This record gives sequence, C-alpha cells and structure tokens, in this order.
Amino acid sequence: MQASLDQKYNFDIVKWFTVASVIYLVVGTLVGVLIASQLAWPVLNFDTAELSFGRLRPLHTNAVIFAFGGCALMATSFYSVQRTCGVRLWSDKLAWFVFIGWNLIIVSAVITLPLGLTSGKEYAELEWPIDIAIAVVWLAYGLNFIMTIATRKTSHIYVSNWFFLSMIIMITYLHVVNSLAIPVSAFKSYSVFSGVQDAMIQWWWGHNAVGFYLTAGFLGIMYYFVPKQAGRPIFSYRLSVIHFWALTFGYVWLGAHHLQYTALPDWTGSLGAAVSLAMIIPSWGGAVNGMMTLSGAWDKLRTDYVLRFLIVSLAFYAMSTFEGPVMSAKSVNALSHYTDWTIGHVHSGALGWVAMVAAGALYHLVMKLWNTEMFSAKLVNLHFWLATVGAVIYIIAMWVSGIMQGLMWRDYDEFGTLTYTFAESVAAMHPYYAMRAVGGLIYWLGGAVMLYNVIMTIRQASSATNTSPATAAA
Amino acid sequence: MSDYFHTDWAAMTLNDWAGLIITVGVFFLMVWAYVYTFNPKNKEKLESQRHIPLDDDNESEDSRQ
Repeated sequence: MQASLDQKYNFDIVKWFTVASVIYLVVGTLVGVLIASQLAWPVLNFDTAELSFGRLRPLHTNAVIFAFGGCALMATSFYSVQRTCGVRLWSDKLAWFVFIGWNLIIVSAVITLPLGLTSGKEYAELEWPIDIAIAVVWLAYGLNFIMTIATRKTSHIYVSNWFFLSMIIMITYLHVVNSLAIPVSAFKSYSVFSGVQDAMIQWWWGHNAVGFYLTAGFLGIMYYFVPKQAGRPIFSYRLSVIHFWALTFGYVWLGAHHLQYTALPDWTGSLGAAVSLAMIIPSWGGAVNGMMTLSGAWDKLRTDYVLRFLIVSLAFYAMSTFEGPVMSAKSVNALSHYTDWTIGHVHSGALGWVAMVAAGALYHLVMKLWNTEMFSAKLVNLHFWLATVGAVIYIIAMWVSGIMQGLMWRDYDEFGTLTYTFAESVAAMHPYYAMRAVGGLIYWLGGAVMLYNVIMTIRQASSATNTSPATAAA
Repeated sequence: MSDYFHTDWAAMTLNDWAGLIITVGVFFLMVWAYVYTFNPKNKEKLESQRHIPLDDDNESEDSRQ
C-alpha cells in the first residue's frame, strides 16, 4: 500500500521540505534566543557588527518565517494537494527547482543580512537580486500547485487547497509590489515609494504577510491535518467556506492599523481598526471549527500528543486573533504601539499558532511519509510541554513589559513633564527581557527535542526498511 | 449627521471610484457567499465534502483512476 502510494505521488520532495523545516525551526529560534539575550545582556553583541542585534534580528525573522514557515508550508501543501486531488504533483522537476531555489535564497539571506545588506523594509529586508529570485521561485511553486489542482481527478477542490491558493496568489502580488525598487548597485536599492506611501505599502505587505502567509497558509494546514490526525471530518464544511471568503476579503484592509497616530490619513487607521475588529468573527469561526472537529472524541487529546499540538495551536490562534483587533483600536493602540506588547502579540501568534500547528502537521507527515510511528511518543509530549510553557513565559513577559513601557512613557507629573526618562523605562524592562530569553530558550529546547526525535524516527524507519524480509530476500 | 455622510462626488478621482466599486462589490459578494453557504438547500452538497481528507487513506492504487 505504502509502496504504491510512494509511486503514485511525489513524496520525496515532501520529505526534503519536512526535514528542512524542522532544521530551520531549531536554527531560526536559536538566533531568536541569541537576540533576545542580547537585549537583556548587551555584552552578547560581542562588539561585532555582524553579530549585533540590528543585523541578526532580520536574520531571525527571515529564518523562522521564510525558512521554517516556508518549508513547512511547501511540505504540507505539496502533500495535501496530491492527496486531496488524487494526482501526483504536476511537475517533479519544478518541485525540485522550488526546493533548491528556496534553500539557496535562505543561504543568501544568511550571508547578506549579517553583512548589513538590507533594503530596510521590515519582513522584506532582502536586497533586490534576492527579491527577484523569491518572485521566480514563488511563481514556480504557485504554478506547480495550481497545475496539480487543474489536473486533479476529483470534482471538488477541498477547502485546504483554497487557503493555500489564496496565500500563493496574494503573496505574489504583495511581494512584487512591496519590493518595487530602483537598484543603484549590485546590493543596494531604494524603494520606488516614499514618505507616507512607503509606510502604507510597507504595512500593507507586513500585515498581509501575517494574514496570508502565516494565517491563510497555516489554516490550509489546519483544515487538512486536524481532520486527518483526529480521524474525523471537519466540524462544519459550510463554516470553512465562510471562514475562507471572509478572511480573504477582509484581511487586505488591515495594514493601516499599524500606522495609527502617524502622518497617514486618520480615516485609514479607523478603517483598518474597524475591519480588524470585524475579523474576530471569521477567525473565531475557524478556530471553533477546528476545535469542534474533536466534538465527541475529546479523549483523544489524552493519548494523541500530535493532536495536542494541533488543537492547542487553535487556542493560541483564537487568542491572538482577538488580541490583535483589540490592539488595533485607537484607544488601546495609544498605549500598546511601539511597546513590547506588540512583540508579545506577534509571538503568541508565531510560537503558539504558526509553529505549533506546523509541528503537529510535521509529526503527522514524518509518520506518514516514512510509514512508521515516532521514535519516542514521550519526546513528542515533552516537546509539546516545552513549547507551551516556553511560549506562555515569553508572552507573559512581553505583556507585562509592554504595558509597563506604555504606562511609563505616557506618565506626566504635576508640572506636565514626563515622569520617567526613556532610559529609566529601558532599565525597568530588564527582568522581563531576561524572562523572555528564558521562555525563548525553553521553546528552542522543544524544537531541538523534535529534531532529535525526527532524526531517530527516520533512522529507525530506514533500518527497518533495509532489514525487511523483502530486502533480505533481494 | 448629514455633514458626516456628505460626499463631494465631483471631486472623486479614478482611484476613488475604483476603490468604491471594489469595496461595494466585495460587500455584495460577501452577502451572496453568506446566503449561498447557509441556505439549507446547499447544506448536503457542501457538507458532503467534509470527508475528502479521510477518504485518501482508503484509496488503492487505482481507486481514483
């Protein structure tokens, strides 16, 4: 059965993306732990430009979003599109081009970002030649995905594929427009946008990278892997359709909420906040849809540690998609903006939602692709608790730190002057920055446990294949 | 209130009109999507797709051919 599936589908490419994703999870979060520690203990910058926070922070974000997240998305989308459409990937060669190209882009990021070669655009720091390479590889990925759907043997396109499709189409559009720049040398360019238009384009990209890459794409993962792991159909297919269209139509409006109280026209920020609040409805509809898939079988959570990752990730998804709209409202934004509360919010989504739903899907894939059980179920459980505890410590540290920052910055004395200097607010943050580094370290340990478990599982499966009766007879 | 909702239609640029038409169009599309999805007549048709991910484990080499 497994051998026939291996022949029918291209699982090799999925295996490579799966392993690469787990490796990048460990590397990306390790850089995150280092830069979190640098903020708590600046001596860790080692007085070296290439190792300083400013150079490594974009390396961390690129590594976790595009290396870990990208490989997880490509592994899961290439796997689920084949299974739900009943056909092999449209082009094996194009799939390998995407794998090699994407990894070369990651290598180029590892080289250029520490050297300070950056466009200065947040979450889009890579310089123009690499931006062009991203566009080419992403288009190849999209073409292969779309053509696989076009050649499907089923009549219906399952909802997870719709989510992946919206990610592919929107990220193409967003990446190309946001990266429009005039090159002045091989590794230096300037954005074609300036002033407030540049800021608007930046956050139109920035929030939609969250909305379509880190949300729609990972919801595609959720809609395939939660029912698979639970062995039960999704709670409501109709709710998933509304979830998809409301998310796709709604998310593109939100970017302006990043620019409250700036030179951007006031109404755009109000519109961004209003649509953000409205987005709570489809987001919670989707989270409830995923969780209620377990309705009547909640006992599975006691024994199925992979399912725990998937379901707890939905709890974090619900939490962060409530927190985000609240923070976008002007009265709350006046306190939260530019503070660590934003960092806490981002990481409740990134550590709690994105990385945990991806970890659940990757464990599922490892067992399916290598046709085996995990080397150690206890280590999966250990990873789950390290990830959960690490994420919670990180988020709480940033909530307390962020709200304290906001309150200190806005506090006036009886003479109308600021009560605290900026340096005093920085000093007050130190315990929370140390706590954040500890939370991040715990989360990283979970990733390291996962990598060990995945390596041992693959070794175990490979040795079992080599010593099987059929192999011995041959 | 009338001041709040006042619009200088003559001052609308091409971009303003494009934005207005897309916004209103998307709004009506969302209303249509909601009505279509939750119309009881379409319940069985849509909910029958729930099992797609579960069916693939049962497939044999040529079950879908």
